[in-house]
Amino acid sequence: MNLTYFLFFICIIVCTLIITYWAAKRSNTANRFYTAAGSLTGFQNGMAIAGDFISAASFLGIVGMIAISGFDGFLYSIGFLVSYIVVLFLVAEPVHRLGKYSLGDVICSRFPSNQMRLIMAIGAFIISILYMIPQLVASGFLLRLLLDIDYSISVLIIGGLMTIYVVFGGMVATSWVQIVKTVVLMSGTFLLSLIVFSNFQWDISSLVDRVKEGTPLGEDFFLPGHQFDNPIEFFSLQLALVLGTAGLPHILIRLFTVRNTLEVRRSLISSTWIIGIFYLMTLVLGLGTVALLGYETLIAVDPTGNLAAPLLARAVGGDFLLAFVSAIAFTTIVAVVAGLVISATTAFSHDIFHHILKKGKSTEKEQLKAARWTALGIGLISTLFALQLEAINVTFLVSLTFVVAAASNFPVLILTIYWKRFTQIGAITGMVSGLLASLLLVILGPHIMNVDGGWIVRDSVISLYNPGIIAIPIGFLGAYLGTIFSTKRKQSTEEFRQFYIQSQTGITSRRESS
Amino acid sequence: MEERIMDLIREKKRVVAPALVLVFIFYFMLPLSLLFFPDVMNQTSIIPGLTWAWLYGFLQIPMTLLMAWVYHLKAKQFDRKIEEIKREELS
Repeated sequence: MNLTYFLFFICIIVCTLIITYWAAKRSNTANRFYTAAGSLTGFQNGMAIAGDFISAASFLGIVGMIAISGFDGFLYSIGFLVSYIVVLFLVAEPVHRLGKYSLGDVICSRFPSNQMRLIMAIGAFIISILYMIPQLVASGFLLRLLLDIDYSISVLIIGGLMTIYVVFGGMVATSWVQIVKTVVLMSGTFLLSLIVFSNFQWDISSLVDRVKEGTPLGEDFFLPGHQFDNPIEFFSLQLALVLGTAGLPHILIRLFTVRNTLEVRRSLISSTWIIGIFYLMTLVLGLGTVALLGYETLIAVDPTGNLAAPLLARAVGGDFLLAFVSAIAFTTIVAVVAGLVISATTAFSHDIFHHILKKGKSTEKEQLKAARWTALGIGLISTLFALQLEAINVTFLVSLTFVVAAASNFPVLILTIYWKRFTQIGAITGMVSGLLASLLLVILGPHIMNVDGGWIVRDSVISLYNPGIIAIPIGFLGAYLGTIFSTKRKQSTEEFRQFYIQSQTGITSRRESS
Repeated sequence: MEERIMDLIREKKRVVAPALVLVFIFYFMLPLSLLFFPDVMNQTSIIPGLTWAWLYGFLQIPMTLLMAWVYHLKAKQFDRKIEEIKREELS
């Protein structure tokens, strides 16, 4: 590793550790640990949400996908953006009003029981871990490719950092690491986009012409259909992307870190702006890669195209810019995995330890201690898992996360907030059927069952790589059937009305508040 | 008081629900139009050098921001009215 790289990495590590040290002094209550005591402003939280959301898969993966398949890569990113409308319109404000630290709190404000809480905690836990481990594995490969350091050392560095941020700094440190990441990522990609344009004398049509020369697709590069040739597959993917964000626990718990619903809306609107601008810039970077490097060079280094952005940086700005972009990718990874650690930690220590095991009676000190130990445990275990998974392809788990979230958390959240006749049994069957259906469909699908290098070498039972179109209706159907067939006492109209008013306005009835 | 709050919620819903339906239609029409009318979508649009598919794809971004803004305005108005009701209740 040469000195430029070393300096960039040390700079990022030192800065984030200073943030963690500063945050550690401020994370001395459970409320501060889990939600930064709602102290962020809307714009800060918007940056943190963007930092939590834009994974290395988005940054490196989408640039590569655009460079390889043009329009379809861009279309993929649009789905992520539009999903924020679903969050804003349907779930954001109710989640903020009903919950305290976790999604379990939100659902249990209508169906208070240990079973309900346990299921929600397990759901949040599974989604966060499923998302975190592939990111850790990918980060190991990425650092190995970029910096030529050993896979296990890279995983240990990233796993160690994310654990330190969360254990000592809780949500305060996580938020600020994510904010720093967004600033670095946005300024870096902006700079790189400007350099790309300047290489073409700011003339978009000459960029476009060079793209056509650089890709084997030629004129057809700008036509849709190079990545997704099966329309059902494509529709299924889009469905999971658009609905999935509204079920991702690590994004939704960020809605607790601001003071009121006005700030919640500001958070989401600012993150939508940031994400929208970001995806426009990835388009420039993707096109720039094809135009300046050409398809063959890109594929020769890495057939997945994930190294498009770093290669582009080296081509236009030499080693220094490559070091900078690698540092951006590194920050991107640590910010996202830290967000996932805190989301898994909340599910375990707040829902399972505090509410279920201690029956909601543990003291502030005990809660804080439990949260820190949980974060340490989760950090260690996922790092160990990631170390073991070097030889196994787990990247598909990233796209699976959106399917699981859209099929389990999303239906249960929506129905809990808006459906009068919904029951606890329905919520439990909805969660369970959504979780099981999406996991089972992936196991039966071509990611796992594949004659060509799958975990199970045979033809897949289901041909869809993205089973959202089947799994999401199953989640809703499970919730519906559970409700129809539950014999337990249903909530009275009056009870639901009180809950509904609380979820929509924050006004609690006098009966409850007294 | 409850009736007035419910009325306000209904009023907000009358704006938010159609807006959400519009977003879904606008968004899912993109993949569907690519599927059913690929020829039309691949023709040059009103902007030279840009096909309808790209123009429609780009338009998703302002659409998202516009809808978020519409929601924000409506929600602000809603919050203000709720505050009024709360104040009247107290006095």
